Amino acid sequence: MAKEMVLSGCAASAQAAKYAKVDVVCSYPIRPYTALMMELAKMVANGELDAEFIHGEGEHAQLSVVLGAAAAGARVLTGSSGVGVTYAFETYSPIAGGRVPVQMMIADRALDPPGDFGSEHTDAMSCRDQGWIMGWAENPQEAFDNCLINYRIGEDHRVLLPQFVCQDGYFVSHIPGKVVLPEQSQVDEFLPPYKLPHPLDPKHPVSHGPQIRPDQGTIMDLQRAQAMLDAPAVIKEAIEDFNRIFGRKYSPFVEEYMTEDAEMALFIMGAHTMTARHAVKHLRSKGVKIGLVKLRFVRPWPTQEVAEALSKFKAVGVIETSTSYGGAMRGGNLLHEVRASLYDLPQRPLTTSFMAGLGGEMVPLKEFYYMADILSKMIKDGKAKKTVYWVGFEAEA
Amino acid sequence: MFNIPKEKEVPLGCITPAPVTEQPMMITGNWREYRPVIDQEKCNLCMNCIVYCPDACWQLNEAEDEVVWNAKYCKGCLICVNECTTEALSKVYELDFADGVVRLEKPF
Amino acid sequence: MAVAVKTQNLPLIKKIRNIPKEEYYVPGHRTCAGCGPALQYKLVAKAAGPNTIFLGPTGCMYVANASYLCTPYAVPWMHTQITNAGAVASGVEAAYQVLIRKGKREGELPNIIVMAGDGGSVDIGLQAMSAMMYRGHDALFICYDNEAYANTGIQTSPTTPYGANTTFTPPGPAIPEGKKLFPKDPPQLVIGGHPAVKYVATASVAYPVDLMNKVRKGLNVQGPAFLHIHAPCPKGWKFNESKTVEIAKLAIQTGMWVLYEWENGEYKYQHKPKEYKPVREYMKLQGRFAHLQEAHIAKMQAFVDAKLKAPGIPVEIPLPAPGAEA
Repeated sequence: MAKEMVLSGCAASAQAAKYAKVDVVCSYPIRPYTALMMELAKMVANGELDAEFIHGEGEHAQLSVVLGAAAAGARVLTGSSGVGVTYAFETYSPIAGGRVPVQMMIADRALDPPGDFGSEHTDAMSCRDQGWIMGWAENPQEAFDNCLINYRIGEDHRVLLPQFVCQDGYFVSHIPGKVVLPEQSQVDEFLPPYKLPHPLDPKHPVSHGPQIRPDQGTIMDLQRAQAMLDAPAVIKEAIEDFNRIFGRKYSPFVEEYMTEDAEMALFIMGAHTMTARHAVKHLRSKGVKIGLVKLRFVRPWPTQEVAEALSKFKAVGVIETSTSYGGAMRGGNLLHEVRASLYDLPQRPLTTSFMAGLGGEMVPLKEFYYMADILSKMIKDGKAKKTVYWVGFEAEA
Repeated sequence: MFNIPKEKEVPLGCITPAPVTEQPMMITGNWREYRPVIDQEKCNLCMNCIVYCPDACWQLNEAEDEVVWNAKYCKGCLICVNECTTEALSKVYELDFADGVVRLEKPF
Repeated sequence: MAVAVKTQNLPLIKKIRNIPKEEYYVPGHRTCAGCGPALQYKLVAKAAGPNTIFLGPTGCMYVANASYLCTPYAVPWMHTQITNAGAVASGVEAAYQVLIRKGKREGELPNIIVMAGDGGSVDIGLQAMSAMMYRGHDALFICYDNEAYANTGIQTSPTTPYGANTTFTPPGPAIPEGKKLFPKDPPQLVIGGHPAVKYVATASVAYPVDLMNKVRKGLNVQGPAFLHIHAPCPKGWKFNESKTVEIAKLAIQTGMWVLYEWENGEYKYQHKPKEYKPVREYMKLQGRFAHLQEAHIAKMQAFVDAKLKAPGIPVEIPLPAPGAEA
């Protein structure tokens, strides 16, 4: 019988790994994801979870340990935050290119310098070109669900890719929320056992990763690109199945909220979506024709779905909780990909971006009202004055 | 969706089959300038050539009680000649042999 | 943490004639003619047998063996980064522990062997090696020591001897000896600091039966083991490729390399010369030492003399005799 608990994102992720019967976990402490590992350690110690709990010597080692374990035939979980994510960077391409479906939980944290425990998406976003599936959770329930969904997608033989399962540090990783825990039988129905096509096994010897010539390199890249082309269909299947078995109503790639007859929309992902929903509801009650579009997967980027969802608005404000210094929009990472998605449309909405929630700051309602204000002005002026607004720090209104 | 010529194919994830007794994708017999030649009469089966060859190019034929040379892969390093305990092995210029292997004009 | 039972007991080889016939490092690899590391790899693979998984960090024993899209390993093998072979091996071992325990894999824990160069063992790979030793994984870490980063064109590594000419330590008027630093001692890094380690040994291609037996002992032991194998490199050390084994023997005869085992806190020595030859006998055969002057050779001799008194690095690096300074 499904039971309801109030869990932090970290604890929810740990529960999901337990339901998924993870085989090997590799830990290393760094705020704020550490609680995930502390929960799993407790589960292993009291016999709730039969898994090898390996104390990695660092984040780079964590990824390396789970790579070895997964290549040998085990379902694995690791995780990190902030500079831990970037310290392990060397390993991301080898894991994705080696087609080993490792799962890494990322509880975001602002990158050094200096130490800042607050959440910022830049840590994970810096890794988005390495060929991993990647997406954000809005709340602990979604953190739980995404863990299972990503195992299913990544381990599918049509995909075979590792996954960054992200959640905002503190806002999701630590603030508890309602989580409906399923029956083990539901999880067993949704998630087949882990099985690689060519694990490391003396009974069937293989050579994993011999050196290649440069002209063969292009083919490797093509294969990896193909995997990202094949993934969306598998994602759709997995989400449909998930919804059916667990009774959720996830839309695979983008979720729309109060967008019917909206003139403008906020495009957002992660924890602050929750606040944004309240802002949109309040603005709607005041007669502002605003909606919200939430992004669930950054990789593979759902180009068509984003274009379809956003094409109906006159103005879109992309909320950026990450930075891309020197990037074309001089702001964050999402606006580049939103504009690319919209480029071929015969009629494109005006777009701008709002730097909000950086460094781990909260995004209060009034900041969303400010954004709505700017979007209204944009529609009136017929153009965006700027491509990026550092919310709360702009010199003029 | 993509047109990849067969000779450029790379297996998924770059995971290749393991060899069994030799790796024919890397034939090295055309590297040598000198080949080791054995005088079986002098050989006392000390096993040095078998043990010390980095390329496993000397093997023991137990039935005939003699060592057998692998022409396909021997690189002509001549460690075996250097370590032979009875001077049964000596080096001979590769191209002195009718089946002497000429270096390829371009690498494999 | 439950440990999967390993009942294998690879028998020690008594005579060279009894060396197993089967090859698991087969002909057909792009290593240099006379490659010391290739020779030790063949011997290690032979000693380990078919129930083995190799982890191959980047280095000569990756690039040269695995070019292109093919390898000479007849057993499962996986490439790792030069940084993390110890960690990846730990993961493979952990997977087998839990998969066997959960009944998802039949049979015994396979031999899990890291085949790392000196850089991948005690330089960039040091962290991962130490952690594998510390965590007690049932696996063997082999450091094949060709005393340089050879694959990238011979650059100095922490095991490159004092006075060696490498492309990062070229000799010149400002630095006459080339390499000024004395090397790390890999087995000593492991011994005494890692409580879970059961067996540490040095070996050399000069004594192949001894090498293979040490591999088997390392594999038989339950827990981590470390092997430091001397593997002369004709290209890097600049000697004729037919002399690989000869050079390896001379290293032992001059005291530049010492064969020993450390087990249960005790040291045992193998093939200890009754009288040591002067190090100059060893150095004069190698082009990497050709630039050295008397004072440098004296320094090297003093270092070896001090080191032969006990395992490990002498507390003070000895200076040459007065008047001999260059």
